[in-house]
Amino acid sequence: MNITSYLALAAILFSIGLYGVITKRNAVMVLFSIELMLNAVNINLVAFAKYGIFPSISGQVFSLFSIAIAAAEAAVGIAILIALYRNKGTVEADKYNSMKG
Amino acid sequence: MNKDWFVLLVLLPPLLAFLLMVAGRRILSKRMTSLFGVLSTGISLVFSLVLLVSSLRSGVSLPDWEFTWLTLDKKPIQFGVTLQPLNVLMLVIVSLVSFLVHIYSSGYMKDDERFTVFYSYLALFTFSMLGLVISPNLLQIYIFWELVGVCSFLLVGFWYFKPEAKRAAQKAFIVTRIGDIGLFIAIAMIFAKIGSFELHDLKGAIEAGKLSSGMITLFAILIFIGAVGKSGQFPLHTWLPDAMEGPTPVSALIHAATMVAAGVYLVANTFWLFQASSVAMDVIAYVGGFTAIFAATIGIAQTDIKRILAYSTVSQLGYMMLALGSVGYVAGVFHLMTHAFFKALLFLAAGAVIVSLHHEQDIRKMGGLWKKNKGLGWLFLIGCLSIAGIPPFSGFFSKDEILLSVYANGRYGLFIVGVIAAFLTAFYMFRLFFKVFAGSHEPKTARVPWSMTGPMIVLAILSAVAGFIQFPTHFLETWLITGGMKSLHGPESIAWIPVLAVIVSLLGISLAYLMYGVNKWDSRRVAQAVPWLHQCLVRKYYVDEMYHSLIVLPLKGFGWLLQVWDRYVIDGLVQLCGWISMRVGKIGSTLQNGQAQTYALISVVSFVILIVSLLAGRLFG
Amino acid sequence: MTWSQWLPTLITFSPLLGVLVIWMTPREKATLHRMMGIWATIPPLVLAWIMYSQFDSTYVGMQMKQAITWIQVATFWKISYSMGVDGLSMPLVFLTGLISTLAAVASFLIRERTKQYYSLFLLLEVGMLGVFLANNLFLFFIFFEITLVAAFFLVGIWGYFDKEKAANQFLLYNGLGSGFMLLAMIALFRLTGTLDYLEVQMWMQSKASPVSPTLLWIIFISLLVAFAIKLPIFPFHTWMLRMHVEAPTPIVMIHSGILLKMGAYGLLRFGVGWFGAYMKEIAYILIALGLINILYGAVLAFVQKELKRVLAYSSISHMGILLLGIASLTTIGLQGAIFQAVSHGLISALMFFIVGSLYERTKTTELDRLGGLARSMPVLSGILMVAGLALLGLPGLSGFISEFLAFLGLFQVHPEWAAVGSIGLVLAAVYTLRAVLKTTFGPIKDQWMGLEDIQIKEWLPMFILVGFIALIGVYPKLLEESIQVTLYQMVSKIGG
Repeated sequence: MNITSYLALAAILFSIGLYGVITKRNAVMVLFSIELMLNAVNINLVAFAKYGIFPSISGQVFSLFSIAIAAAEAAVGIAILIALYRNKGTVEADKYNSMKG
Repeated sequence: MNKDWFVLLVLLPPLLAFLLMVAGRRILSKRMTSLFGVLSTGISLVFSLVLLVSSLRSGVSLPDWEFTWLTLDKKPIQFGVTLQPLNVLMLVIVSLVSFLVHIYSSGYMKDDERFTVFYSYLALFTFSMLGLVISPNLLQIYIFWELVGVCSFLLVGFWYFKPEAKRAAQKAFIVTRIGDIGLFIAIAMIFAKIGSFELHDLKGAIEAGKLSSGMITLFAILIFIGAVGKSGQFPLHTWLPDAMEGPTPVSALIHAATMVAAGVYLVANTFWLFQASSVAMDVIAYVGGFTAIFAATIGIAQTDIKRILAYSTVSQLGYMMLALGSVGYVAGVFHLMTHAFFKALLFLAAGAVIVSLHHEQDIRKMGGLWKKNKGLGWLFLIGCLSIAGIPPFSGFFSKDEILLSVYANGRYGLFIVGVIAAFLTAFYMFRLFFKVFAGSHEPKTARVPWSMTGPMIVLAILSAVAGFIQFPTHFLETWLITGGMKSLHGPESIAWIPVLAVIVSLLGISLAYLMYGVNKWDSRRVAQAVPWLHQCLVRKYYVDEMYHSLIVLPLKGFGWLLQVWDRYVIDGLVQLCGWISMRVGKIGSTLQNGQAQTYALISVVSFVILIVSLLAGRLFG
Repeated sequence: MTWSQWLPTLITFSPLLGVLVIWMTPREKATLHRMMGIWATIPPLVLAWIMYSQFDSTYVGMQMKQAITWIQVATFWKISYSMGVDGLSMPLVFLTGLISTLAAVASFLIRERTKQYYSLFLLLEVGMLGVFLANNLFLFFIFFEITLVAAFFLVGIWGYFDKEKAANQFLLYNGLGSGFMLLAMIALFRLTGTLDYLEVQMWMQSKASPVSPTLLWIIFISLLVAFAIKLPIFPFHTWMLRMHVEAPTPIVMIHSGILLKMGAYGLLRFGVGWFGAYMKEIAYILIALGLINILYGAVLAFVQKELKRVLAYSSISHMGILLLGIASLTTIGLQGAIFQAVSHGLISALMFFIVGSLYERTKTTELDRLGGLARSMPVLSGILMVAGLALLGLPGLSGFISEFLAFLGLFQVHPEWAAVGSIGLVLAAVYTLRAVLKTTFGPIKDQWMGLEDIQIKEWLPMFILVGFIALIGVYPKLLEESIQVTLYQMVSKIGG
């Protein structure tokens, strides 16, 4: 197997995630998209760990870390979102503009 | 025999009394307070007399005593005691007058509710003054010098609720402070030059020729500036008459007998320094001579009994300075002593006059007191005769010595000034005397208690006889210059000088008698003949006004100017910096619309542009 | 390892114990917080006293030193946690302990949110003690910032009317100073690989590796600016005027009593200690600035209409005297500067305490509205008079000895400038007496007739302060002995 196909998959996933983050109006969808991007990175890490120039186990370990952190991040993100929903009564991302200058 | 601890017995009682009175301000009764005060100064007096006797007997200076107070740059700075004859003499004068004033005050101040506070200030003053006159080094002198100054300030402002007292106290402190800075600079420069504050080290440095004559002159004049401030010499004399707002015992003790004479003492104590510089001697002589006649002329036109005495004090201090400037060391110190007695007497008597006339101080409203209180009249008369220089009262001898030394020193101009000042002194003192005691008034008088009369009698006796310690035996001179200063022997007496002095004084007295005693010549007509001169004298040559418009107002104006500068320019600049940052931030913040997704889009686009441009650079660069 | 090694650390962090205890108390028990707050300031004071008694005044360099490697980057760059005390910091540590305790007593004036107040107050004390006891610039910086933050909140929350503005200006201005300090610190660290006082000092002496003098000048000037803002030196003084007027009484006691002295300490420690030779080259500028401070502050203090502003400007004037002492770069002058730091710390703490008590009763400090208070409040007026006399340098009180020494030091090198500066002593008498007499002398206004005189919780701390002021004034050896050796060593290092 060639590393290129893994990288292509990761790139496609990342782009989809990025698209979602930028365009989706529903904040939950934005969070999901962020997960996609993170997973794209994980694929990259694993791919390089196996087929990279210096293959080593640490890439896989790193990806496990990042999955764990992603889980935590999702939990925190959803929690914040729920709090925001209670507060503002909406999950529309463009309604969250209280940081406007 | 070791006399070290004797000095502490002189010094400590007033200090202890002060601390006791401050601590027990609420619980001490008036009787207890005055008892403590009198007792403590009494002990001081007894032990200073013991020191005097032993100093007289041994004929040499007593052993000195020192301890290290501080170390500066590996040099020990010491505190100590020196007991040259001059120190011992001052010790006796100070403790004696202070003792008498303590007794007097128990009568004079008996109705004042802050009686204990008054006594505590007096005790602190006595301690500081005693400390001043035994100091062997300049730093110690300066410390006590400032302490007596602050006591004077507190006592002048004792009746704090009177606006005049407040102003006078402030003025007293600040004007003397100006002089003190001169002394301060002198001390610091002397230390920087010779690395010691000790007077004998300075003396040694001068004798060894380590200091250039310019330096010596500078030091001498700076020290003299300190003396000018304290002793009310022109041009820093203005505080002394105003200081009469304080209670009368204070005026007697501080502003007549002791503290104001500290300037004269300082010059006498560092006399070898002044002698090393003829310029400095000239300055002292001329300032002293000018002050003597300047203040005497003002004294003629004043109407407040205490202010007349104050101007006479200024004038007499000028006399002493004149003597010192003319190498009349003994004459100056002698006059300091006699003046302490007769001026304290005059002030105390003036206080008694004020009390018996129910706190009236304006001599235009007085008169006829002789009939009511002959005893007081006699006491006052002794004081007046003494200050006017009528033999055999003490003032005659000391004034004669001064005139003699001025003449012998070849300062003939100043000699004439001195003679005129003597005439004026006799005139205004007897103007005061006749205004108060003569005339057909029938004043209502209050009784003068014994506690007030007693000290006056002691002082009157001393004023009458103190002159005889120098005549006919030159006893004082022999004792004073045992410390070594051979050059200080007084000149041979010249017979016509005392005769002249007495004639002049008698002329002054008779003029006063004609004008105020029997009203033969109307004084108002004289005033009207030269109205500008009279006005000038009443307003004290406009010196106060001049200071006000030349120093105080410009300083205030400058202050306001700086205030504007500080508030609008300096702070304005600071505010401007803040304002600019704020504006910049405001502009930046309008770019923030709060849409996180927009930010993300912008980041992505910029990132892409960055990557593309980097790649393009690689490809084409 | 001896136990005394732990003293600096113990002193510094001992107030935290109080913070813990206060956190455990319920929010609304203000009296309890007050008691806790006062008690929590006792251990540092006692420990400082123990430290003073253990202090060996003949020892050169840092004593009771403790150093533990803290952060290490490669072998060359190392930052250690090191604490110690020498003659320079000893008096200031004790001063901090003392004034903190008295300010904690004076905090009875604070009535709201006492829990947070005392926590922050004690944190501030940790910062101040740390600043004086730290043994390297990194630690110094951290503690310095702690004081900044704590003081910011203390002023911003518990101050008077314009408190937010004052707090903001304080933070920004001092933040600017910290920025400069940080810059200097990083540059130095890059050069030397250490920030330890002694090691940097030795490096400065030897300059093992060639360094461009321009860079050293930049570092020096940055440090100078950082502490000039703190001291404050004209024209960086405006922040402290607001601070003096708006801060609550206990904080202003600490601020003018100790925080300003951190500027002086920094100038001595880093300016003279590290960059002595550079200091010597710009001594003229420092003298000129000192003179400007003295006269500028004095003239402005003379025309102020409000008591606190008079005191604020008088602080500027007095810090000018301190700067003159430093700029003389003689043993006596530096000694005078330390004396002045301690003495002015005591006197200004006393002054602001008095003014705070006065304000509690009259609700105004406008000079024109006050007057004759000696009648209704004799004790307060008496102490105010003593404080005023101390401020204007009366012998027998500490103000005299410090000013005298500072000037004496300058007279040894530049008598003509020192003579100009002594005019400030006259002006000091003018503005101090004006303010004190306007407050206490003169006829009393009817509205002040019924005022109640100060109570024991006020006069007791005041008397303690007066006691120390008089003690130093009468027996300066107490202070002088511990600082001598450090100063000799410092001056000998300045060289030519």
